[in-house]
Amino acid sequence: MSHTIIKKSLLSIAVSGAIAVSSFAQAELVIGVAGPHTGAYAAFGEQLWRGAAKAAEDINSAGGVNGEMIKLIKADDACEPKQAVSIANRLVDSDGAVAVVGHFCSSSTIPASEIYADAGVLMVTPASTNPTVTDRGLENVFRVCGRDDQQGDVAASYIVGELGAKRVAILHDKDTYGKGLADATKKTLNSYGVEEVLYEGLTRGEKDFNAVITKIRSVDADVVYFGGLHSEAGPLVRQLREQGSTAIFISGDGIVSDEFVSVAGSPEYVDGVLMTFGADPTAYPAGKAVVEGFRANGWEPEGYTLYSYTAMQVIVEALKQNDLDPIKGAEWLKSNSVSTAMGVKDFDSKGDLQVSDYVMYEWDNKGKYAQVN
Amino acid sequence: MDSSIDFKKSLIDSILAGLMALVLFGPIVGIVLDGYDFNTEYDRVAWFVAIVMVGRFGVSCFLQSSKGKEMLFKRSSGDSGGVIVTSPNYKSQMIWIIPVVILVGLLVPFIASKYVLTVVILGLIYVLLGLGLNIVVGLAGLLDLGFVGFYAIGAYGLALGYEYLGLGFWSMLPIAAILAAIAGAILGFPVLRMHGDYLAIVTLGFGEIIRLILNNWADVTHGPNGVSAPLPSFFGLEFKRRVADGTTFHEYFGLSYDSGFKYMFIYLILFLVVLLVLYVKKRLVKMPIGRAWEALREDEIACRSLGLNHVLVKLSAFMMGASVGGIAGVFFATYQGFVNPSSFTFLESALILAIVVLGGLGSTLGVVIAAFGLTVLPELLREFAEYRILMFGVLMVVMMIWKPRGLVRVTRTGFATRKGALK
Amino acid sequence: MDIVLQQLVNGLTLGSVYGLIAIGYTMVYGIIGMINFAHGDVYMVSAYITAIVVALLSYFGIESFPIIIVGTLFITIAITGAYGWAIEQIAYRPLRNSSRLAALISAIGMSLILQNYVQISQGARQQGIPNLLSGAVRFDIGDGFVQITYMKLIILLVAFISMGVLTYIIQKTKLGRMCRATQQDPKMASILGINTDRIISIVFVIGASMAAVAGVLITMDYGAFDFYVGFIIGIKAFTAAVLGGIGSLPGAMLGGLILGISESLFAGLISSDYKDVFSFSLLVIILIVRPSGLLGKPEVEKV
Repeated sequence: MSHTIIKKSLLSIAVSGAIAVSSFAQAELVIGVAGPHTGAYAAFGEQLWRGAAKAAEDINSAGGVNGEMIKLIKADDACEPKQAVSIANRLVDSDGAVAVVGHFCSSSTIPASEIYADAGVLMVTPASTNPTVTDRGLENVFRVCGRDDQQGDVAASYIVGELGAKRVAILHDKDTYGKGLADATKKTLNSYGVEEVLYEGLTRGEKDFNAVITKIRSVDADVVYFGGLHSEAGPLVRQLREQGSTAIFISGDGIVSDEFVSVAGSPEYVDGVLMTFGADPTAYPAGKAVVEGFRANGWEPEGYTLYSYTAMQVIVEALKQNDLDPIKGAEWLKSNSVSTAMGVKDFDSKGDLQVSDYVMYEWDNKGKYAQVN
Repeated sequence: MDSSIDFKKSLIDSILAGLMALVLFGPIVGIVLDGYDFNTEYDRVAWFVAIVMVGRFGVSCFLQSSKGKEMLFKRSSGDSGGVIVTSPNYKSQMIWIIPVVILVGLLVPFIASKYVLTVVILGLIYVLLGLGLNIVVGLAGLLDLGFVGFYAIGAYGLALGYEYLGLGFWSMLPIAAILAAIAGAILGFPVLRMHGDYLAIVTLGFGEIIRLILNNWADVTHGPNGVSAPLPSFFGLEFKRRVADGTTFHEYFGLSYDSGFKYMFIYLILFLVVLLVLYVKKRLVKMPIGRAWEALREDEIACRSLGLNHVLVKLSAFMMGASVGGIAGVFFATYQGFVNPSSFTFLESALILAIVVLGGLGSTLGVVIAAFGLTVLPELLREFAEYRILMFGVLMVVMMIWKPRGLVRVTRTGFATRKGALK
Repeated sequence: MDIVLQQLVNGLTLGSVYGLIAIGYTMVYGIIGMINFAHGDVYMVSAYITAIVVALLSYFGIESFPIIIVGTLFITIAITGAYGWAIEQIAYRPLRNSSRLAALISAIGMSLILQNYVQISQGARQQGIPNLLSGAVRFDIGDGFVQITYMKLIILLVAFISMGVLTYIIQKTKLGRMCRATQQDPKMASILGINTDRIISIVFVIGASMAAVAGVLITMDYGAFDFYVGFIIGIKAFTAAVLGGIGSLPGAMLGGLILGISESLFAGLISSDYKDVFSFSLLVIILIVRPSGLLGKPEVEKV
């Protein structure tokens, strides 16, 4: 009895030793996945992590990057700039990361990107849409999502062109993302000669928006544009309908989640809600396989999951083509295109996507969304 | 004392605790919501209940032992005494430690890695915040839950002063201290009539108002997008990779560029400022004003009867604390290079208060230890990933139960009556 | 006109919920003089329990709304009450003889624990419960109209009933007398044979139960919550408790209503951006005029 235990433990020591040796022999490519893994935004952190982890798994099982295996490091910034700075320093300094997927919140991405730029680390954010992220002229910063101003353009032209609305109420959640989106939409609307009838901010984390909805009713708006996330959009649209308003509700990619429906309480409330979002990734053959891969693992790749997957692919491609040198990789990305799960991506000199692929989607009364033709 | 342990009683205790755990953890841990549906996780509940039962059994047995009884008795009789009063001519044997600490402190930036250095800088910023709040809460006994407001004023002072007035780090350092002190006076004047917890909620409101204004007044503060803040310059030399006009620090000294330089420099200034504040605080406590703060904390009515102007005394504590908070804000902004309102939430105030209370009210050494503890701890706990903040909360509760008066008790040198004075 | 009326209705429902949660703060403060910062998170826990109970009931095929709401209320109150009891046992009882600041820090720690415990066990995502009761009463006034959903009417009804029951318990029953005695002088109360430790536990359970009532009502009305939802509403309810005079039961209800209504009117008629600035300023102004809150007893300075 005791013999077998000793044998087993000896064996396990030998095996783990062998594994340690082999992993030592094979060089690792350290890539950070930075985002809010705890705190109020942890749901998005999980999307980022799932996407990046799947990408790393797929790439490693296909032989890694020039023979090196990807090792991911989960870096939690809780969407606090303070933690973002210290985690960024940790990634570049202690962990020796060559590239980073992240961060999520623009307010974390901005200070952290300065540290990555200093250290010559390639950063691709899957989710920070604030224009400032790339407008500062840092060489190493890329994003695989659109910019708030591109998204606002699409929404505003739709409101004016397709809906022909005259009375537009604009709401935002007073956060970097939501307010940026609302401001961009407002700017384009105004350039079309449409003045908004209401422009107000809500408080994130609250669930009672009845007061502001009554105000929307009092200004007689026929379109409500909301810049923010589904956690506020759900109760907002529900309370809008409960107070008997029939105004059309439009929002951005912050509400792209099945949770939007469950948070709103019933599919009937989200019926007819419009939103801008990137073109459907399952339309690409590569994307379809990836989506099915996720589903096979029991995870619906919603929200930013695929963006995170794509960010990882972009990083890996840039490193692969440039002998794992992140700075050369950044340079290379600006003049070459990368084919990813979300189609072929081209970057401009600032690190933004050359083509914004935002299109309008509409939710139906079953709680599903489809592209508006 | 009867030291036999009644295992039957412990067993009953343990079963009751297990049942309670089942009620508490059953729904939240065992039934996981999934949309409008749910999944069950019975094994997790079983684990929780088992742990609680075993733990309760152990605690129950322990408390019946003579040692446990002793502890229980100690606790129920309340812990005695406040400060430790030493004899008037007491000289600490530990005086040699001060130059050693200073020396080590000055050496840190040259040996630590960049990541460690940034954590240490953050720790020192919290030392400053803790020292500032310690004047208000520890010495003057005014519960302030909105200290983060002054911190925000300092940080935004640097960022906005640079953007609109072109003021750099060095000019903003004193200006921010003054600004924060003025804000302290504006807040303090109307509210110092209030007592204990009313003061607490008003200061909480004040902190929130500052944050909300920073967030909403987007035309000036850029709202949630935040503002970038300048780095300190070394006699006019910048710590950037390159600047448009003039030379940078590394070019002037012929070094190759390293982003670590700026952290080293910030660290050194910050370290000196912390030493200065420590010194000032040490002297203040011995001055009439410091004595008045503590006297007022102990007995307001007696002080007023003796002719102390209580509003002025409280106000001075408030302003002094606020100005230290403002300085900490300037360092925070320059260290981060960017400020936005999300750094100044109520949780931050709570963290600073936790530093002061954990360290021991009024104790300087305790504040320093607690400030480092509470900033370094979350970094060390990073290994626990999503359990990090949970562990942090558990440690806060456990620490308070273990040492409710904080880590370090205040010591104070006693008085010697002067020769010839009446005995 | 219709807009102002609608805002009053909005404020009334919001305020009654603030009042329910404020009761927890005010009672605990009254009896042990401590700000229970974890109370907002107790409310959050009750929101999760509500959703779990609703999901379980629908799993067992119960569709009738009255049964669902009554069942959910009872189960949620029981479990949330147990949470209140356990929190007091673990985090506050050992600190009974220590300074109130120590208990405050312990409470902040407890609040972090609750948030993260729920986040880890339930996941960080947004949660929702299905809409259980549709329909609304509509009053046409001139050109406009005021619309109140049935659920909002139920909120008002249940909130006022539970406040009434609580007032009865505190004012008329033996338990209430013991609570009040402990509040006035714990030492004397214990000399007279009241088990003050037990009374304090009961007060925590009552506070948690009121938060649970609020949790059930709000969750059923808004349908959305996450593990972070207790923070803002906790601060608001605490403000309401102080506004009404902390330690005073009717004060908490009055404070809640005033806060809810003034918030709605300000957001609706002036600006929702500065709504929270307004509520905190209102608090400061009221405290400057009445340093002990609206219904609080002025503090007697003892020499």
